[in-house]
Amino acid sequence: MTTQTAPTTTRASFVPAGSGLSFTGLLRSETIKLWSLRSTYWSFSLVVVASLGIAVLMAFAMSAQSMGYDAETGTPMVMGDAQLFVLVATTGIGFGQLIVAVLGVLSISGEYASGMIKSTLTAVPNRLPALWSKVIVLFAFTFLVGLFSVVGSFLVAMPILGSKDITADLFDVDVFLPLLGNVLFLALIAVFAVGIGTILRSSAGGIATVLGITMLLPVVLGILSSFVEWIGDIMPFLFTTAGTEIITPNTMESWQALLVVMAWVAVSLGTAAFLLKRRDA
Amino acid sequence: MIQAQSLTKHYGSKTAVDGVDFTVQPGKVTGFLGPNGAGKSTTMRMIVGLDRPSLGSVIVNGKPYHEHKAPLREVGVLLDAKAVHTGRSAYNHLRAMAATHSIPTSRVHEVINLTGLESVARKRVGGFSLGMGQRLGIAAALLGDPATLILDEPVNGLDPEGVQWVRKLTKQLAAEGRTVLLSSHLMSEMALTADHIIVLGRGRVIADASVAEIIASAAQNTVRVRTPHTAALASLLAQENVTITNVEPDVLEITGLSVNEIGDRAAAAQISLHELATVSASLEDAYMKLTQNEVEYRTGDTHTEEEAAR
Repeated sequence: MTTQTAPTTTRASFVPAGSGLSFTGLLRSETIKLWSLRSTYWSFSLVVVASLGIAVLMAFAMSAQSMGYDAETGTPMVMGDAQLFVLVATTGIGFGQLIVAVLGVLSISGEYASGMIKSTLTAVPNRLPALWSKVIVLFAFTFLVGLFSVVGSFLVAMPILGSKDITADLFDVDVFLPLLGNVLFLALIAVFAVGIGTILRSSAGGIATVLGITMLLPVVLGILSSFVEWIGDIMPFLFTTAGTEIITPNTMESWQALLVVMAWVAVSLGTAAFLLKRRDA
Repeated sequence: MIQAQSLTKHYGSKTAVDGVDFTVQPGKVTGFLGPNGAGKSTTMRMIVGLDRPSLGSVIVNGKPYHEHKAPLREVGVLLDAKAVHTGRSAYNHLRAMAATHSIPTSRVHEVINLTGLESVARKRVGGFSLGMGQRLGIAAALLGDPATLILDEPVNGLDPEGVQWVRKLTKQLAAEGRTVLLSSHLMSEMALTADHIIVLGRGRVIADASVAEIIASAAQNTVRVRTPHTAALASLLAQENVTITNVEPDVLEITGLSVNEIGDRAAAAQISLHELATVSASLEDAYMKLTQNEVEYRTGDTHTEEEAAR
C-alpha cells in the first residue's frame, strides 16, 4: 500500500466561503447514509414485496360473500367495494410496520454500535440538526416506499377483484384517504423508532422496546382490560390502536387519532433530543 | 490553536481530567503524551465537544468548537479508527461526511488518494485491517482541509511506510501554519515528529515544553566507558552525585561526570580506555522519569528480565 504526500492540502484560506455546515447538506448526508447500507435495500424491498404479495393472495381469496355474518342479527355483513379494496391494499403494510420499526431503530443505534455517532456529532456539534435531518430523510423515504406499496397493491388487486365484479377507483376519497392514512402511520412508526433508538442507543433494546410498544402492549392491555375497567378506557390512546383509528375511526375522529399518534412521536423524539443534547457521545 | 482553561472531567467519582491548562500553538507539531488513563483521549473528546467538561473550558481556533460555522473546516479529528459504520464503504462514509459541509466529491477523491485507500475505497469498512481503518480515519480528518488537526494515536496499526508518511504529513501540515495535536505511545516516533510536548499524568499536566527542554530537564546524559580496568576506574571516579553502573564486564555507564573529566582523570591515573562516549538521553528516558509516579495501570516488575537481556 503506497501513500503520497501530494501538496493538495495547501490552500490560501483555511475556510473557503460557501462550504459550511448547512441543513440541506445534512439532509444530503443522511440520504447518502441511508442508501449506502444494504439493510435499507433489504428492508424497503421487504415492505414492498410483503404488501404486494399479501394483496394478491387476499384478492384471490376475497369475495363479496366472504365477510361473514353479523353475530347478532344474522344478516350478511357486506363491505363496500371501496372498503374491501382498502383492506386488500393495506393488510400487508402490517408487516411493513414491523420492518420500518426495526429500520428506524437501526438507523441510529447502528451509529452508536459502530462508533459512527462520533463522526456524525463532530461534524454537527450542535447535534439536534443531525437528529432532525435523519428523521426527515427516513420519514420521506418510508412514506414514498409505503405509498408505492399501497398503490402498487391496489393496482395488482384491481384485475383480480375486477374479475369478481368488485371495483373501486383509486382516486375515490374513500379509497385514497385510508391508503394515505396507512402510509402516514407507517412513516410515523419509523420516526417513532428513531427516537427510541436514540434514547436507548442499543439495537437490541431499541427494537424490543419499539415492538413492545407497538405490537405487544395493545395485546397485553387488551387482555387486562377484561379485568380492569379503566384499562379499556386508555386502549384507544395506545400508539397502535390510535394508528388504526386514523384509517378506521371508531372511538374518535381520524384527526384526533392522528394527534394521538403524533403525541407519541413527539414524546419519543423530544426525549431523544433532550438526551442527545445532554449526554456525552 | 487550542486553549484549555481549568479543563476538568469527572466520570462519577473518578476524575479523568483534573483542571488542566495548556495552549497548543499553530505552526508546530505538539505531542500529547501520558500513560494509559492519563486523560489524553478525554481531553481530545472535550476539544471537539463529544464530552462536556465538568468544569473549565476549551476553545479551538478562538471559539468553543460547537460555535464554528464549519466545524470540519476548523478541526479535523481522528479519535479512534472505529468511528465509522462497518456496513458502509470508505468512499460512502467520506461522501456522507463531506456532504454535511457541502465539501465537493473531488475532495473525497483527493483524501482517498492522499491516504492510499484507492484499492479498498469501495469495500465495506467492516473488513478493514487496523491500519486501513487508521488511514480512513486520517482521510476523514483531512476532509475539511482543517486549520487544526487532532490525531489520537494515528500510527497505531500502520505499517512502517505508513508511520513515516504520518510523520511527514503532520510536519508538513504544521509547516503550513496549522495546529497539530498528536498523541502516541511510540516515544521514538514522537521524538522524530513533535516539536513540543505536553505530558499528562493522572489528569494533570506534568510537563509542557519543547522536546529538547523535556529531555534536558528530566533525563541526564550518560557516559559509556569501555576499559579492562573497570574496578580501578570505578573507585577512582567514585564521589557524591556520580552513579556508576557496571553494565557489561568491561563497560561502565557513568552519570554526573562529563566525558572530558573522565578521560582526563583516567589518563592521569594511567588507566587505559578502549571506548569513551556520551550516550544522549532519549525522550523515552525523560518520559519514563516524568511519569514514573503517574502511571495508573502499572505492569508487573520486569526489571530483572530487562537487566538480564542487556
